[in-house]
Amino acid sequence: MLKYILKRFLVAVPMLLGIALLTFVLIRMTPGNYLDTVRLDPQFSQETIAYYEKLYQFDKPLLVQYIQWIKNLLRLELGYSFHYNVPVYRIIGSRLWNTFLLSLAGFLLTWVVAIPLGIWAALHRNQFIDRCIQFFSYVCFSLPSFFLAMLFLFWASQSGALPLGGMYSPGFESLKPWGQLTDILRHLVIPAMALSIGSIAWLQRIMRGNMLEVLGQQYILTARAKGLPENRVIYLHALRNAINPLITLLGYEFSSLLSGAALIEIICSWPGLGSLMLTAVRSKDIYLVMASMLMGGVMFIVGNLLADIGLAKADPRIRYE
Amino acid sequence: MLSTTSDPRSFNDIIAKETSTTLVTGHIFEGLTTTNAFTTKVEPHLAERWEVSPDGLVWTFYLKEGVVWNDGRPLTADDVVFTFNDLIYNPDIPSSARDIFTIDGKIFKVEKMDDHTVRFTLPVKFAPFLRGMSQPILPQHKLKKAVEDGRFNFTWGIDTAPEKIVGTGPFRLTRYDPGQRLIFERNPFYWKKSEEGDSLPYLDQIVYLIVQNADVELLKFMEGTLDSYSVRGMDYPLLKPLEKDGDFTVYDLGPDMGSQFIFFNQNPGKNPNTGKPFVEPHKLAWFRNAAFRRAVAHAIDKDKIIEIVNNNLGYPQHSPMGPAAGFFHNPHVVHYDYDLEKAREILRGTGFMDKDKDGFLEDEKGNLLEFSFYTNAGNTERMDIAAIIRQDLEGLGMKVNFRALEFNTLVSRLTSTFEWEAVLLGLTGGIEPHFGKNVWMSSGQLHMWYPRQESPATEWEKRIDEIFIQGVQELDEKKRKQLYDEYQLIVSEQLPLIYTILGVKIYAVRNKFGNLKPAPYGEIFHNLEEIYIKEGYK
Repeated sequence: MLKYILKRFLVAVPMLLGIALLTFVLIRMTPGNYLDTVRLDPQFSQETIAYYEKLYQFDKPLLVQYIQWIKNLLRLELGYSFHYNVPVYRIIGSRLWNTFLLSLAGFLLTWVVAIPLGIWAALHRNQFIDRCIQFFSYVCFSLPSFFLAMLFLFWASQSGALPLGGMYSPGFESLKPWGQLTDILRHLVIPAMALSIGSIAWLQRIMRGNMLEVLGQQYILTARAKGLPENRVIYLHALRNAINPLITLLGYEFSSLLSGAALIEIICSWPGLGSLMLTAVRSKDIYLVMASMLMGGVMFIVGNLLADIGLAKADPRIRYE
Repeated sequence: MLSTTSDPRSFNDIIAKETSTTLVTGHIFEGLTTTNAFTTKVEPHLAERWEVSPDGLVWTFYLKEGVVWNDGRPLTADDVVFTFNDLIYNPDIPSSARDIFTIDGKIFKVEKMDDHTVRFTLPVKFAPFLRGMSQPILPQHKLKKAVEDGRFNFTWGIDTAPEKIVGTGPFRLTRYDPGQRLIFERNPFYWKKSEEGDSLPYLDQIVYLIVQNADVELLKFMEGTLDSYSVRGMDYPLLKPLEKDGDFTVYDLGPDMGSQFIFFNQNPGKNPNTGKPFVEPHKLAWFRNAAFRRAVAHAIDKDKIIEIVNNNLGYPQHSPMGPAAGFFHNPHVVHYDYDLEKAREILRGTGFMDKDKDGFLEDEKGNLLEFSFYTNAGNTERMDIAAIIRQDLEGLGMKVNFRALEFNTLVSRLTSTFEWEAVLLGLTGGIEPHFGKNVWMSSGQLHMWYPRQESPATEWEKRIDEIFIQGVQELDEKKRKQLYDEYQLIVSEQLPLIYTILGVKIYAVRNKFGNLKPAPYGEIFHNLEEIYIKEGYK
């Protein structure tokens, strides 16, 4: 197993370099560069723009720029952001954590709610409660998450029950640790709900489908015929088999932890990576974009690996040699 | 509690100059002069007074006594000399300020006379000099080392601890949470006193929330978190009736600075690689014909744009220096009213007719009057204006192929490949006409209809060049205004840029502030140091 994990990590290195190269080429293939906004500013002279061009090495060939970036990367330097004029890692650090926190909250909420809901719906198939759950799933699934966020914010502004966006209140530093935690949690409620409602609807349906399929299998019939108690049949035999495909999904979900929340972040003023990246891509702040793509790549690889390991643990038929 | 839409780029006023940065640095740093928020006249600020030699070349500034940096050190002439000689004129530091303070490649000589006297010697007369002296002064004692080590470009970035950022302004930065908020506190050392002799500023703290989405900003204002909100046209009917209940006032400060205009490619050049002309010759002939451009101007329904795009809040724009420019605005330029008949007449007079009766016009040689029309995607206001213009022009019998391009694509077409026919774009404006020289002088890189000309292509472009060269050296304000009035008149006659509408500056502000004096130029909080919170409010 260890050998397998090691091998996966080795494969990951060229993969990440490939992601980086592709991002680099794609972003440079689109016309223009970071200086375009400056070019349309009447207060900048031709000479100053040329100076910037040299400074940012836009005058060098693409390959030279890429190799320079890789060299810096090997020294663990992610380069400078053009826009903010500071090293990329100084900007990304705190925002990475914030996005992670928000996505993790959404992720946990999704799984904790959707899995039991799916099972419950499957066990009451076609009864009133199942119909209700399925109806609301359709509705929630078709509502875009940013719209939900807007609705929640509107509700919060009317009722005053929850803070309107942001991550912590002014005066956060003077709170006790417990107060700080509840403050962040209160701010988390709206974005996390907006983020997870659509996913809950979707995941719940998958869980329900899997469960129904397994419940129709002959070994469930056998188990029941043996006289096993119904609880044991469902939660031990059926659930274990039904949840297998979801473990793969878990891996994918993990990989989108850093990238799935941009819209919600912007609307809820959550100081995360998504909104930062959106502006970075639009203004072609290339090294900032590259750093984020790299981070996304790492998450993807780790997520997949976790899923594979989880799968092996859950299903004795799967073995990696 | 105020708000801003995006994170600052830097706290370094020399390196970054766009609004999200100057919003922050504007509270912290000050210049020798300032611009009056009502009259747009230049007034003394850190400098108490100044003298100028009769030839207009040597300016001596006397600094106010008793001005201290917010760490307690006194401001001296050394700081001024340092800001110019070691920062702005430092070839290793990129800065747009250098472009402003360089005339024909020559820089100003800046010398210290004594601790509170600085002398500027100019290579030639430079009329915008005093206004330019609002350039923020930075502390030598904090930044000298960074300059010597060559680290200045990366100093005072957004990762700097706030207490390290030292200025003379009324407030100092105490906290910055990226993506969330900026907190300023009162600078206890601030030099300015109120008329009653109180130490200013009155406010103890200002908090800026960073809110990216304008709808959320509105919610936060309605809820009471924010004390001021920049009202969009669409919000006005919602907010205005709520003034009493919400305990706020909606201030209309008149037209804003930004302009939106359509223009045609008049560049006769050829692509050096393919040898193909940038614009097909028959189209170039139309675009270079002022009568054609006038017909287009008559066909644009500015009132409809104001009604549809800005919810009836806006002003038609006629002159390159809008009313917001104050002193230099020339209201007596040629106005082009919406008049389709007149537009048709002009087009007929230049030989455009619908010969094959297909609903579209053709020129004398039978070429279909057709052109491409671009604007940048992502700017919804501009997209809406473009749609209306297109409709108007098609009504006139022109075949307009509209496309929204990505901003970067559009910029590279405008500035390097020159492959475009008509474009709708906007530029920010200012009150100093000379700072538009990159747009108006025929050699400028932003002379977008035909940039970087070696010699002026037309008589009127030649005259505008002359006006800008004379205007920058004319120290008599009256004569200067005459010159720039003439330039505005020429532009309105020749229409290289066909202006559309100006937006409005409307703000909703809670009724909790005393001494609030909204002004067209300075906007709501230009006198922030004098503003206090009225009794009974938090």
